Amino acid sequence: MISRRHDPPKLHPGTAGPEGSPGTELGGGTAAGGVNARPSPAVDILLKAVGDTPIMKTKKWAVERTRTIQGLVDFIKKFLKLMASEQLFIYVNQSFAPSPDQEVGTLYECFGSDGKLVLHYCKTQAWG
Amino acid sequence: MSCSVAGEEDFFLEEKRFKQYCEEFIKHSLQIGDGWEWKTSKDLGDGYLSKTHFQVRNRNIAKERNNDNIEQTLFTDVEESLDDSQVAGVCATEEVIRYEYHVLYSSSYQVPVLYFRACFLDGRPLTLDEIWKNVHACYQARLLEGPWDTITQQEHPLLGQPYFVLHPCRTNEFMSPILTSSQKQNRHTNYIILWLSTVGPVVGLNLPLSYAKVAPEQNTNADSVERPLS
Repeated sequence: MISRRHDPPKLHPGTAGPEGSPGTELGGGTAAGGVNARPSPAVDILLKAVGDTPIMKTKKWAVERTRTIQGLVDFIKKFLKLMASEQLFIYVNQSFAPSPDQEVGTLYECFGSDGKLVLHYCKTQAWG
Repeated sequence: MSCSVAGEEDFFLEEKRFKQYCEEFIKHSLQIGDGWEWKTSKDLGDGYLSKTHFQVRNRNIAKERNNDNIEQTLFTDVEESLDDSQVAGVCATEEVIRYEYHVLYSSSYQVPVLYFRACFLDGRPLTLDEIWKNVHACYQARLLEGPWDTITQQEHPLLGQPYFVLHPCRTNEFMSPILTSSQKQNRHTNYIILWLSTVGPVVGLNLPLSYAKVAPEQNTNADSVERPLS
């Protein structure tokens, strides 16, 4: 399940306020004040469009850690109503495309900062 | 053929840059033991990236779902997805498949090109279908959808043997947007890592996540990728 983040998310009681507020990080390795007793099941992801790819109205999402890149691709494609023949790529650091079966939780641990993971997505036309 | 969107430039990779990125790539591969090498051709000055790896593949279809992890660790390269079949499967014949991946430079398209092939230990080559059957189900959707229906079989320009090739004619099309975006943020992006991580999974080649963190010496000039001529 992927939930929107513009309201205080039901998944994460205690997390409140605008993005980037300190001390309200979800799980991850950036929480101030030591290790969380239990890592939260979801991580904050900020999706940014590349090129002429449509921009998502909601950019910030709480995504469960075990969701794979492929799962995220499917979700974005549905959300943007892309055609099946259009391919969507996701990049981390704008320099690397994680494998489709890579879990977002792992990506968050490695590349997240300020309590979120920024991912860029880009669509490309299939050969037609 | 679609035109470039205004403001989006084509990034052509100069051969010199290609070699620099490959060097960086190899360096990281050595650090993590990923098995890539730089090979040079005796006659020409050309060089290319090369990787050979072996994959053990079970031929049985059904497997117990909750196997202990021994099977998983032995066959870490097996990309066959566990299916829902409840039949306890006895491992039938195992096959060892030898995969080869080469990254060459195409001077006509000014982009890297991926050559690949696979064969059994007795030398029998796999067909493209057989290669794709080993690709994880989630990638298979990409095979149908992606901008690479132009996988052809060609003679390797340096080795003279038949390889499958991911045709380079559309590489620029899917690379330019992310490169443009990356460039704007003054990010040093290794073209080879970016490209190979994108196209690799389609042919069963995955780059470990650590490649994403390859960050060479910071240099002040932002032209890590060649700018267009116009």
